[in-house]
Amino acid sequence: MKQYKFLFPVLLLTALTGCKKLTDFQSNPNNPTEADPALGLTAIELNAFSNISANAALASRYLVYTQGASNAQYYGWQRESSMGYANITQVVKMEQEAAKVSKKNYRYLGKFFRAYYVVSMTQRFGDIPYSSMMKAISENDVTSAEAIRPSYDSQKDIYAGVLNDLKIASDSLSNQEAALNGDIIYNGNVEQWKRLINSFTLRILMSLSKKEADATLNIRQRFAEIVSNPARYPLLQSNADNGKLTYYDITGNQYPFFNNNSMKTDYYLDSTFVDILRTHNDPRLLVFGKPKPSSTLPPTDFDAYDGLRGSATLAYNTGKRGAGNASQIHDRYAYHATNEPSLLMSYAELQFILAEAVVRGWIAGNAETFYKEGIKASMIFSNFNNTYTTADIDKFIDQPSIALQTGAEIEQIITQKYVSMFMNTDWLPFFEQRRTGFPAFETNGGGILNNGRIPKRWMYPNSEYENNGTNVENAVRAQFSEGDNVNGAMWILQ
Amino acid sequence: MKSTALIFISLLLHFVMQAQDVAVTGTVRSAKDSTLLSGVSIVTLETSKGTSSNVEGRFNLIAPVNSTITFSYLGYISQEIRVTNQTNINIYLHPGSGNELTEVVVTTALGIKKQQKTLGYSVQEVNGETMAKTKTTTALGALTGKVAGLNINNTTDFFQSPGISLRGKRPLIVIDGIPDPEADAYKINADDIESISVLKGTAAGALYGALGVNGAILYTTKKGARGKVSVEFNSSTMFQPGYTVIPEVQTIYGGGDQGKYAYVNGSGGGTEGGGWIWGPKLDQRDPSTPSGYYETTQYDSPRDPVTGQLIPTPWVSRGRNNIKHFFRTGLLSTNSVSASIGSDRGSLRMSTNHVFQKGVVPNTSLNNSSFSIGGNYRLTDKLSMDAKLTYNREYSDNYPTVGYGPPNYLYNLILWIGPDVDIRDLENYWMPGQEGLQQRNYNLSWYNNPHFIANELLNGYNKSNSFGQATFDYKVNDNFSIKFRNGFNQHSTLSDLREPKSYVAYSYISRGNYSTTYSNYFDINSDLILNYNKEISDHFKFSVTAGGANTYRRFESMYTSTDGLTIPEFYSIGNSINPLVARSTLQERRTSSLYGMLDVETLGFLYFSFTGRYDKTSTLPVKNNAYFYPSAGVSAVLSDVLNLPTAISFLKLRGSWAQVNTGFINSGNPYAHLTTYQIGTKWNNVPSLRWPNTAIDPNLVPETVMSGEYGAAIGFLNNRILLDVTYFRNKDYNNFEEIPLSEASGATYLLKNSNIYIRKGWEFMLSAYPVRNQNFKWETSINLSRVHTWLNKATDNADGYYKLVKEGQRMDRIFITDSRTPDGQAIYNSNGMQAFEPVAQYFGHRDPDWIYGIQNTFNYKNLSLSFSFDGRLGGLIYSTTNQKMWWGGTAKGTVTADRDEANAGNSTYIGPGVVVTSGSVEYDKYGNILSDTRRFEQNTTPVNYISFMQTTSGNMLNNYHYYSGTYLKMRELVFTYNLPQRWTKGFFNSASLSLIGNNLFILSKIPNVDPDAESDNLQTPSMRSIGFNINLKF
Repeated sequence: MKQYKFLFPVLLLTALTGCKKLTDFQSNPNNPTEADPALGLTAIELNAFSNISANAALASRYLVYTQGASNAQYYGWQRESSMGYANITQVVKMEQEAAKVSKKNYRYLGKFFRAYYVVSMTQRFGDIPYSSMMKAISENDVTSAEAIRPSYDSQKDIYAGVLNDLKIASDSLSNQEAALNGDIIYNGNVEQWKRLINSFTLRILMSLSKKEADATLNIRQRFAEIVSNPARYPLLQSNADNGKLTYYDITGNQYPFFNNNSMKTDYYLDSTFVDILRTHNDPRLLVFGKPKPSSTLPPTDFDAYDGLRGSATLAYNTGKRGAGNASQIHDRYAYHATNEPSLLMSYAELQFILAEAVVRGWIAGNAETFYKEGIKASMIFSNFNNTYTTADIDKFIDQPSIALQTGAEIEQIITQKYVSMFMNTDWLPFFEQRRTGFPAFETNGGGILNNGRIPKRWMYPNSEYENNGTNVENAVRAQFSEGDNVNGAMWILQ
Repeated sequence: MKSTALIFISLLLHFVMQAQDVAVTGTVRSAKDSTLLSGVSIVTLETSKGTSSNVEGRFNLIAPVNSTITFSYLGYISQEIRVTNQTNINIYLHPGSGNELTEVVVTTALGIKKQQKTLGYSVQEVNGETMAKTKTTTALGALTGKVAGLNINNTTDFFQSPGISLRGKRPLIVIDGIPDPEADAYKINADDIESISVLKGTAAGALYGALGVNGAILYTTKKGARGKVSVEFNSSTMFQPGYTVIPEVQTIYGGGDQGKYAYVNGSGGGTEGGGWIWGPKLDQRDPSTPSGYYETTQYDSPRDPVTGQLIPTPWVSRGRNNIKHFFRTGLLSTNSVSASIGSDRGSLRMSTNHVFQKGVVPNTSLNNSSFSIGGNYRLTDKLSMDAKLTYNREYSDNYPTVGYGPPNYLYNLILWIGPDVDIRDLENYWMPGQEGLQQRNYNLSWYNNPHFIANELLNGYNKSNSFGQATFDYKVNDNFSIKFRNGFNQHSTLSDLREPKSYVAYSYISRGNYSTTYSNYFDINSDLILNYNKEISDHFKFSVTAGGANTYRRFESMYTSTDGLTIPEFYSIGNSINPLVARSTLQERRTSSLYGMLDVETLGFLYFSFTGRYDKTSTLPVKNNAYFYPSAGVSAVLSDVLNLPTAISFLKLRGSWAQVNTGFINSGNPYAHLTTYQIGTKWNNVPSLRWPNTAIDPNLVPETVMSGEYGAAIGFLNNRILLDVTYFRNKDYNNFEEIPLSEASGATYLLKNSNIYIRKGWEFMLSAYPVRNQNFKWETSINLSRVHTWLNKATDNADGYYKLVKEGQRMDRIFITDSRTPDGQAIYNSNGMQAFEPVAQYFGHRDPDWIYGIQNTFNYKNLSLSFSFDGRLGGLIYSTTNQKMWWGGTAKGTVTADRDEANAGNSTYIGPGVVVTSGSVEYDKYGNILSDTRRFEQNTTPVNYISFMQTTSGNMLNNYHYYSGTYLKMRELVFTYNLPQRWTKGFFNSASLSLIGNNLFILSKIPNVDPDAESDNLQTPSMRSIGFNINLKF
């Protein structure tokens, strides 16, 4: 029986030889660590071009919410939960992957997306970290104070940097470089990207209209330089060039509010918005809202529509709704899988920007031509199921009340721009109202918070105070005498 | 072959001993005072036949010549007598140290049995016998309230596992020495369990390595006993005829909003009121209508054949008893048969078991079958082997989805159906003419018809488990032995979901879908263990163990789903409208270890134990993937050396110190130390990848627990009373933690070793025999424990905070953003609605102050009665059910005059609390008040009651829906009648019949839900179970 002694080493050997080495498990078989920049581009585009926001529509007095008291609608918001730098992380990774395989066009697009995200953050908060951001990703530095607690840059410096990046992007994108794959916006068409980037630059410049006099930013001159040189700085030429994300009837690719039950039951048009549309018999009312249930008029009758009041108490609004006297948002927003695309920037918006630039004397031209081209492009874009005809569009535009009136041009242009951005361009209409005061947002109802004021910004996220306290406190001190609150006027508004 | 043949014969035939038997009679007395002892257990070892002494201390027994009879009695040393030809035996049993309370042998790590008194750490053993009778859905649930420091959170939901925490963390489950990392509570057949040993401390778990860092629950399954053939049949049937806790909803108001409701098309918009239950009052007289009641259009209104318009119908409380009308009586039926045999050389045991569970929700059930075979055999004097294999299958054609949300029938039944709808009418759940396409319900955008959910939204589950072990044991000589053991766990699981067309879930209306998940799991643990023990003298014995272990785990799964079904109700993957959605996962990991253990017994009362372990794991970066950790323990049985007062019969002090390192960052992901892209959304078939927001520190080291545990066990009055007290203090450091960074750095979090926590607590156990006389015995035990975790050091925050918790504070703090005055009154805005703070404020603590359990067993002749209570004291539990009931309008408390006023369009409700009239409050970033100059006045702004509730959920009226977790529950009651032997003779060795009650009643402070689960995210009503058990032994 002595031979049993040999059993154990044999068994042990059997048990151990069947195994892989410990070091064989140092890579994750489920997810890659390196990737073609095309895969990153798709993810970035999906995020940057997804601009359907119900909260923006509530704060912009397009819509009223009836399920509860909405802070967006009653202007009761305070801190943001995050700023959005995670989006730039994706951009930095795409740039890194592009550098590895020398696909430069991705890096130029990276500059555009950085600019896009940085602007969307700075216009919400004011000063933000810019020159020393992203070091945990770009330099793999997760320890140095400068990397993990980046300092804040002044809004002016940020805009200067953004404008430079946009110029580099437009100048450098080239058909000669390796093709752009994974491009779900322009399918790799470099020319269309240039049109979007230059048009976007004009948007940024116009958003700085209060800083027209700033010598370093040189806003007027930059604006004119782009408009006057279409060969070098092409612009969006039609709705076909719209920077848009199209939805598909595939799970996860559908319109964000498709089948959304709140959108089916709790979003009603704001009465001020209904009034703007009804005053000029704007046929877009028919594709933005539904007739009120109590109405017996045909849906094409503008009197069949009425709205709720964004500043009124919840009880007032739910009461009016229960009586059947409020127009819900149009069914297409909740019942149609693809509805309409989401916009980063449209041809229509560009026309309104150009019209405003003419009125401001930044460029030469006919403001009314740009303005009416913008309205037309918007009406074509919004014409769901061909609800109205080309004749309807022309009839609307040709109304004398639509023509620009001396002294009221900016108000008319911005108001039409506002109508064109219903549920498609994120918070831009709110920011435009903040810049120009048009259209006036109604704040007199009993539900309003923030002492009836329209907030001008968001407070910095608490996470910044916890993790980057000194820098954010310095930034607040440098900008806002009353501290970090929603009513502080940031540099671009001064 | 001989023994296998025997077991089958014995399954068929009752085993009858014959030939050379003698009738033995006699008396049993106490050696101390010669009193007659009744109820002494008298068993023949070879035949396992037995009897007990009667009230006069007398007994009769037929026993084979040359067999051995054992006399055992609680509190006395057992005695063995060899039967010769003598027929009269008079026995004196000696009381004293041989008491089982202190001589308990327990199973410790690696399956090693040790005397409890030698252990430097706390181990508590629960006898499997208690589990054979009281049937709960899992064997784990049966431990509730029985072990100090072990907190079992029994869910009321069907086919969900109970939550377990031991000293505040989740322990390892071990079956017959083999860790079960997946801890499937349903795979263990409760009738197979011989005993459960709970190793509480880190020291106890040190030898399982990182897996055992939080202690372990060791299941030891039954084995065949030597010289004994046994066949056992155990059957339990439990019904769920009633409710221990059931939500009570109001029956005064129907669906709608602001007191208005008129059905249009089920979309919920306009006059349908958005799906709220804030509609018009029901049963209101209205002489102007044909019915005499207020009438409005409803989902089942007839249509006017001429105009096509809906005809108003009476608005009455048709659905007063919806909850009771929906549920049915649940059933839990457990049947098991086992047979075993043992001889000098080995034993064999086989068992089968089936559990059938019928849910209270229509069309839900679960089947759970087990088959196991195990045995051991001494091949030679030196070599023996032992093996066990179990196959288990859990399968269900449909089990309910739980938690707050549209797939849960309760969401639709309790919260969002008004009493205007009769659930029985919804049994016809297809829209006429649209069968298979469109469900019929009173609201089609928000809610599902509960009967539609029960019968059409089907969760299928089919899991095959196999697990077991094979061990070879070789005794080189009396002192030296070698053991080799391989154990494995394997399961293959197929779960699928049939989702009918028109099923709604928030922003989703199904086009019909079928999805399947196939997964495969396998782990293998191999141990080679060498043991050397030596008795140098009576006062010095030692035992050295050295071992090597290797663990490998592999998990793979594949999820496939259709995107819409081309043919409705045809549930096949090939029937997809759009391209299939699919994902696969492969996870592997390996750990290799060396370990050693030294046990020393010296001076007859001092016991020392030392362990050390060296692990190398695949789940850390290579440069830091190997690490060592030690433990030491001491136990001193002072009563063996000191002259203590006679009342103190036993005194032991113990202490242990241990360190355990963990290299597992995330038990669900062995690649958590590697940063990789994540698969992003596919847009019109264009793929995308996203980089995660968490960066990983390249210098990760293992996480460490350093623990100290101190305890004392004291026996009084000949150990009739035994008290065991434990204090423990664990320091958790180098924790794997995601530390927030400024997001502008590009990473929102950094995974690194961080923070130090102190986890400490007390455990008390008291067991006693208050009464123990000839006919009547009462055994009782009480346990009490507490554990809390404090932040000791926030290593990555200069201000000493981790999130909002400051160093020195407990980690279970609750924070809320609702504005309150320093004395807790609600603060309102100028518009009469609730105000909120920009930084969350401390509100209370989540963990219980204490958890406790009380068990009692009474034996009177052939009758026994046992029952247990348990519960918790203190700590707050958030209740989603209550919050949603107040929010949605079904809470009974919302039936108020103000609600009527709101229905009439009046704003009359004034929220209780204050408004700020002047001044302001300033907080630091952690929510601490820096300055507060606020002046308050009573809130006087009337608001609409319904809007108020829709906005606040009545938070300030209900302690913000954090309810006291204090409760006392009658967990179980078992009344057993052991059939007298004169009835069973010739048929059974023993037979018993029990009546069982589980979850009988509860005293608690939280309304509408059972606090047992310690959380509530819309739980199933708590069911009372009543049934019976039959146990027959042949």
